[in-house]
Amino acid sequence: MSDRLGAVLGALADPTRREMVEVLLSDGTTSVPSLTGRFPITRQAVAKHLATLDDAGLLERVDAPGREVRWRLRPGALAPAADWVRTAESAWDGRLGRLKRAVEEGPPD
Amino acid sequence: MSVRRETEVEATPEDVWDALSTEEGRDRWLGEPGREVVVEVADAPHRLVWWWWEGDAPATRVEFLVVPAPGGARVVVTETAPEVPVARLAAAFSSVCV
Repeated sequence: MSDRLGAVLGALADPTRREMVEVLLSDGTTSVPSLTGRFPITRQAVAKHLATLDDAGLLERVDAPGREVRWRLRPGALAPAADWVRTAESAWDGRLGRLKRAVEEGPPD
Repeated sequence: MSVRRETEVEATPEDVWDALSTEEGRDRWLGEPGREVVVEVADAPHRLVWWWWEGDAPATRVEFLVVPAPGGARVVVTETAPEVPVARLAAAFSSVCV
């Protein structure tokens, strides 16, 4: 598991951050003030979660007029996580197949 | 972040349990000696949870549920990948042996 993948999975391990990613998937962009209105946590906590997502390479700032900083998902940012899921699924299909054969054949004499 | 897979085995849950929960049993099908396995929960013969990792990579959590099925046993595995530093994991499980 690469550092990059570890950072993405770590960022997505938290349910609040996963919800924030879902907000971004549905709304396109978001900001600290708009998320603060949607989550029962403080503005500081929202900013910290966004910083964690940003550190994992999941976000990018949107260039926009005005003082409010807006964020969107970086294109392809979720790909390492999707790759991990595909790799893990295929690895478990193989392992469960071998487990099934081993158990059905019984232990070696 | 997790994946879930399942299979049905023509054997008793106890036979499946032996293949999952003992090192000797795992040697017959797992074949990944580079991985460290630390068992967190062993509730025979139905629920087994282990953490595993390879080298310095983050650990993942693997949970097996083994339940009776019409033809034998159904095995459901869920692998979850939070980022847990190996050192912290080792400290948390220092009193548990595999």
